[in-house]
Amino acid sequence: MWKTILRRLLIMIPQLIILSLLVFLLAKMMPGDPFSGSINPNTDPKQIEALRRAAGLYDPWYVQYFRWVGNLFHGDLGTSYIQHVPVTSLIADRANNTFWLSLLTTILTYSIAIPLGITAGRHQDQWQDTGVQIFNYITLATPGFVFYILGLWLFGFTLGWFPISGSVSANASGFWGVLGSRLYHMIFPAILYALIATTGTVQYLRTGIVDNKVEDYVRTARSKGVPENVVFHKHILRNSLLPIAAFLGNTITGLLSGSMIIESVFSYPGMGKLFLDSISQRDYTTLTALILIFGILTLIGNLLSDIIMSIIDPRIRIQ
Amino acid sequence: MKKAKVFAGITLLSGVALTLAACGKSGSNANEASNAAKFSQAVPTKATKNGGTVKVAVETDTPFTGIFNDELSTSNTDSEVMQYGAESLFGTDDHYVFNNKGAATIKIDQKAKTATINIKKGVKWSDGKQVTAKDYEYAYEIIANKDSKSQRYTASLADLVGLKEYHEGKASTISGLEMPDGENGRKVVLHFKNMKPGMNTSGNGYIWEAAAPYHYLKDVKFKDLMSSDKIRKRPLFFGPYKLQKLVRGQSTTWVPNEYYYKGKPKITKITASVINPNSVAQSIKSNKFDVIQVINSQWPNVKNTKGVNFIATVPLSYSYLGFKVGKWDAKKGENVMNPKSKMNNKALRQAIGYGMNVNQVAKRYSYGLSFRIPTLIPKQFGDYFDKDVKGYSYNIKKGNEILDKAGYKKKGTYRVQPNGKPLTIHLAAMSGNANQEPIIQNYIQQWKKEGLNVKLTGGRLIEFNSFYDKVQNDDPSVDMFMGAWSLSSEPSPNDLYSQTAPMNYSRFVTKKNTQLLDEMDSQKAFNHQYRIDKFHEWQKYMDDEAYVLPVSNSYTITAVNKKLTGYSLKPSDSMGNGFPNWYNVAYTK
Repeated sequence: MWKTILRRLLIMIPQLIILSLLVFLLAKMMPGDPFSGSINPNTDPKQIEALRRAAGLYDPWYVQYFRWVGNLFHGDLGTSYIQHVPVTSLIADRANNTFWLSLLTTILTYSIAIPLGITAGRHQDQWQDTGVQIFNYITLATPGFVFYILGLWLFGFTLGWFPISGSVSANASGFWGVLGSRLYHMIFPAILYALIATTGTVQYLRTGIVDNKVEDYVRTARSKGVPENVVFHKHILRNSLLPIAAFLGNTITGLLSGSMIIESVFSYPGMGKLFLDSISQRDYTTLTALILIFGILTLIGNLLSDIIMSIIDPRIRIQ
Repeated sequence: MKKAKVFAGITLLSGVALTLAACGKSGSNANEASNAAKFSQAVPTKATKNGGTVKVAVETDTPFTGIFNDELSTSNTDSEVMQYGAESLFGTDDHYVFNNKGAATIKIDQKAKTATINIKKGVKWSDGKQVTAKDYEYAYEIIANKDSKSQRYTASLADLVGLKEYHEGKASTISGLEMPDGENGRKVVLHFKNMKPGMNTSGNGYIWEAAAPYHYLKDVKFKDLMSSDKIRKRPLFFGPYKLQKLVRGQSTTWVPNEYYYKGKPKITKITASVINPNSVAQSIKSNKFDVIQVINSQWPNVKNTKGVNFIATVPLSYSYLGFKVGKWDAKKGENVMNPKSKMNNKALRQAIGYGMNVNQVAKRYSYGLSFRIPTLIPKQFGDYFDKDVKGYSYNIKKGNEILDKAGYKKKGTYRVQPNGKPLTIHLAAMSGNANQEPIIQNYIQQWKKEGLNVKLTGGRLIEFNSFYDKVQNDDPSVDMFMGAWSLSSEPSPNDLYSQTAPMNYSRFVTKKNTQLLDEMDSQKAFNHQYRIDKFHEWQKYMDDEAYVLPVSNSYTITAVNKKLTGYSLKPSDSMGNGFPNWYNVAYTK
């Protein structure tokens, strides 16, 4: 298996090169540049031109590209044109926010989805199942942004239970104060996000249980007189969790990429929001760095998923 | 530091277009215009008490950058976030002319070609150190030193003797900046190459209006300043409040600067936190903030909110319709007019002006918060504004007459050019909120009534970046364009409309225009009446030639907690930075 992992890692290199080249060129093709927002009667266009030249924006694209790649190897992702801090520090800041929000969301998603899926599968076609299915159709059919905005309006403004934007209150002080404030800012978007995100997991789990219930090995177990509870938990449930495990790798790496929609609605300064902002502000350095990171995360996520699958399901072996 | 406010530049460019495009449902708000005029510029004055926390909303959909330094900051949001501490050196009257009520005095001597600046004794940084002559020089050094990558260096600032040499690295000091009492003194004499009549006005672009704490920043290299913690996390200010806490991109918390030269301010704590513009209306209605700016399109939603005073100003800005009549010659650095271009016909431009029903559009889509403006010099400039210029009010009949007379004959629905060729006019307009589209379509319908075939460049509204890409580069697909300018508080229009101004996007150049613009900023114009006359003459000329048609402007409304007093938007009440003087703001007893 180690050989396989190594091979997969090696294949990633050309993939990443192509990705970085595409990303870089597409970013450059967007109209405008980081300085176009600075032109007004109080800046001298000559000074802006001088700054553009100093930033190397007039060099041929391949010169810019190789300069960028060269810096990458030194661990230097450049300096943000807009925020004027190193991109690494900017991303570290945002990744930290996104990580905790995503972790909370993921925990909430699973702790809602797994019991629901089990209930539905176990009580197939009974009222419990119908209830879960209705919930599932609603969450499937509701567009995220509508749901978040509605939630924000109801619980954030009308009832005033939760903060409406940001990741921490300006007045929070002390370790516990800050921690509490962060959690308070996170919990609401996380709940909303989790509610919408359960759909897939519930459905996979339910279908898995329903399918496995009628498998031969289950009938064998039952006929041997194994107690129903053991049959369910040891045989049916384990096998039904496989499809969910298949996504685990991407879920783990997804903890860092964040969600553009929820972060925008709640003005939560995470990776998704940073990505959107860097596009609208033509912050090339941040933009290219982010896409590269997202690309790497996706590739690693897929690899992780495969590895996890091969560990928990002996039938699957990576060749 | 009017500049900071003005710096909104392009943000406002789209912003102004948007405010006009405010979303309206019906034309039933005919009386709103008169209501709007009733806004006060300040909240009522009442007896005050010490203490209390003030929450201020910073409306932006991107986190603020947080460069807490006037010389390096590039964003309007940053100026907004640091307004509590970043006081300008000079106070002004209501027409932005320097007076001596600020932290320093300034005296302009036309004959000696100098400006003498005296920083008042007791004006101290928030660490207790006196603001010195060196601090003022240092601000110039930050701007002009290439390593610091400041965007603020301009040809106008380089009117200061020696600044250019310093900028180019040919000199280690700025020869024209003299400190008669030494670096630790409080007196600075600036020597200029040419004197300008606008130099007595804030935002003139020739005299820098802020200082930077040299003793605090001197150990930081110029190239590291912009990202240094001393500017990004722990800045010093000499204004009434000092930064206590910063949550990067999200919020700033301010507490009184005990060394403030006017005395200790009364509010215990001010927090300014970012809020998404989409949440503004709800935040006003639920009184989540003590000071929050109204988004005009949401006005009907919020105007009945209890517990707040709505105050308003008309910002120094306008939206306009420009006609492309030439090209920018980058080599020569000047605009070159093409006399044969399609839009180079006065009658055509005037008729287009008569075809715009700006008043109706403003009424219908902005609850009367936007209004037509007649001339390119805003009313806020007082005497400089020519009230006799009426502009082009909606008059289709007159438009048709002018076009008939000028030889634009009708062939079917549309007119053809005097030379017989078909006439299609391509209009570039920026996309904004949902109402931008119906507004532009409305204008196009009106022009059709004059037999003018106006089509949108590219067939649709254009995204902000692409719009300026096309307009700045004189793209042939643009015959006319709807833009907006946010202005400096010094009224001279030279930067926008002169032969050498790259931002003269129409590219019109006429002898008369050049002459008038030169005269306005000439030595003779130190005579106030002479300057006013030239301003009026120019406005009349521009009105007649119609190379650029002024369109509209809108109120900026702020909702202020009724329990707060001292909050005023008058320029004379400002700390010279375009924001209210927070020293005066306090809770009522």
